[in-house]
Amino acid sequence: MSSANPPVNDTATMQRMEQAQSMKAIVFRQFLDHRLAVVGAVIIAFLLTTALCAPLISALTGLSPESQNVGARYLLPFQKAVIPSDQREIAMEQWINAHPGEAAVLQKALIERNLATGDEEEALYDVVTRDIVEAKQGLQAIRDLPGGDELVKMSQGWERFHVFGTDEIGRDVFIRLIYGARVSIGVGLLVAFASGMIGFLIGSLAGFYGGLIDAFLMRVTDALLSLPIFPVLIVFAAIDLNKIPWLSSLIGGEHESIFKMVMILCLFSWMTVARLVRGSILSLREREFILAARTLGARDRTIIARHLFPNVIAPMIVAITLGVGESILFEAALSFLGLGIMPPAASWGNMLNNAQEVIYNNIWLAVLPGLMILITVVSFNFLGDGLQDAMDPKSIRR
Amino acid sequence: MLTYILRRVLQTLVVIALLSYVVFTLMALMPGDPVEMMIASNPKITAEDIVRLREFYGLDQPAWKRYANWVGTISQGDLGYSRTYRVPVMELMGPRLLNTLILSVCALSFSLLVGITLGVLSALKPGGRLDSFFSVFSFAGISIPSFWLGIMLIIVFSVKLGWFPAGGTQTIGMEGASWYREFFDRGWYLVLPVMSLSIQQIGTFMRYARSAMMEVLRLDFIRTAKAKGLSRGRVLWKHAFRNALIPLITIAALSLSNVFSGAILTETVFSYQGVGKLVYDSIIANDFNVAMVSFIISVSMVLMMNLVADILYGFADPRISYS
Repeated sequence: MSSANPPVNDTATMQRMEQAQSMKAIVFRQFLDHRLAVVGAVIIAFLLTTALCAPLISALTGLSPESQNVGARYLLPFQKAVIPSDQREIAMEQWINAHPGEAAVLQKALIERNLATGDEEEALYDVVTRDIVEAKQGLQAIRDLPGGDELVKMSQGWERFHVFGTDEIGRDVFIRLIYGARVSIGVGLLVAFASGMIGFLIGSLAGFYGGLIDAFLMRVTDALLSLPIFPVLIVFAAIDLNKIPWLSSLIGGEHESIFKMVMILCLFSWMTVARLVRGSILSLREREFILAARTLGARDRTIIARHLFPNVIAPMIVAITLGVGESILFEAALSFLGLGIMPPAASWGNMLNNAQEVIYNNIWLAVLPGLMILITVVSFNFLGDGLQDAMDPKSIRR
Repeated sequence: MLTYILRRVLQTLVVIALLSYVVFTLMALMPGDPVEMMIASNPKITAEDIVRLREFYGLDQPAWKRYANWVGTISQGDLGYSRTYRVPVMELMGPRLLNTLILSVCALSFSLLVGITLGVLSALKPGGRLDSFFSVFSFAGISIPSFWLGIMLIIVFSVKLGWFPAGGTQTIGMEGASWYREFFDRGWYLVLPVMSLSIQQIGTFMRYARSAMMEVLRLDFIRTAKAKGLSRGRVLWKHAFRNALIPLITIAALSLSNVFSGAILTETVFSYQGVGKLVYDSIIANDFNVAMVSFIISVSMVLMMNLVADILYGFADPRISYS
């Protein structure tokens, strides 16, 4: 509604302005105006892609989120770590057992070329367990023989480059952050969607039927909203699932703590959506199109699912997007306290679990996971804000 | 008005009763009960002893019966005994509650002061450079994990610069010192926790203050005031700000609950001896008596304060009717 529109003279602009625009196009164009929201969307897309490609990245870099290396604890970023000699020896033993013929030739060659001393049987082990530079040189020297090439390739994995350093038991922080993204963002998305659906169900029942149902459901909603949520979450998160047999058989197993987290967070994050949906439906149900649907004989659930749902979806999308950030924060806080995602699974929260103790050894262990949380949550909040601006019919600019 | 107050009081009491029951049953589901610990610490214990101990502590009874017994003893003023601290729960609770109250009030006032000031400033020129900067700042504020911010503050201000203590409530041996020295000492320990606890509220208050202020600045009486030739500051603070305050009071009252929520984390990060840390520590240490009592008392207090704020709000804004 700007008052100083310059007069439009060229026909191309006139034609473009006269064209009918679909709702989607308007929303999309308005969304693009919110620069920070676009940045947020791009960051989220990047993080999601990285998280989904985690196994691929792990395979390409040869790093694994669970492989420990006690010889290289608390490495600072951009440093190389060497696999300890006993692990090299084991790898060599496996190779020799798999290729006994080639190994014998190589061992003989090593002795003949004066690269190793002592027993012929022990020659390969002798080379491998030396200092990493010598070990590599030794294997390089027998590359021309059959099997040598393979060994050189194997030896390249013995020296690992850690972009973000290593943690207190020598695990690579970079790959753990990526796997942590899977858990943290995954929990956030799952909780936001599930609680959005619960919220819609409760809100629409309350708003559509009114009366006692409404009074009861809204009392529950208000009560939950008034609680200081974090202490309650702690109590719920501290329970031992093994004491509830039916539940533990339902979600037990390898990812038990993740499902438990999702469930608990869902219990306490549907209220905002429920109030929002109830509010809109209270006014929507008096409108003519609902009366029309009812006159045509539509059942209640048809009206709710086909006529009311599409009308509240816009504010719901915004609330769900904002809910993702909030859930990520809750998950991180609970995991930080040791009540959330259990190791060895990595989440950004549990990577910070003993952050206070490790700051004296390696400050980056405390900084990086929190930074990831901050970036992700800010992006989701900006995205939500942008969507709100774009989808609010009152703010539509043409 | 009276019926409204009565209804709200009743609702709050029902919530507290239900919550205490739910939490009581959940505590029974936490790993390890008192008798199991005694079994673990005493290898000579016999099967009969175990049965006897279970009977003695009432653990053989169903949960609702134990809950009824517990409520019975609580209502007689006996809050029970702490297993880990070896003192009556009553003695533990008092100073802890006070510490948390000090922390929460400081954080709330600090965040109101900063949040409202920045919010009003950014409402003056919506879309301006200052506004966009503050907007990013407030988004960062609501998105930052407060416990992580606490750790970062410790790294910068106590490990690197050494300006503030990394944790604790006060210097040991300060209790006997003159009151102002004790006061400043306590204040010294509060700076970092208050900062980390406030940041989220600052972000929230900024956004609300901004939108409330923008709403008011659009109204006719502001234009009238400007047309009368009143000074800019007078229009802003006397006319606009006073009207923008009304929605802000509700937000401030509601955020009490958030501040207490956040206090658990802040107190844990800074090992500040408040009730939030007590709740967490006693849950981790399976000290259920303390966990139960401290949880219920602190949550009830938050709910009560919400209630009081709700009622006071009616006096602040006479336009609200409660029918």
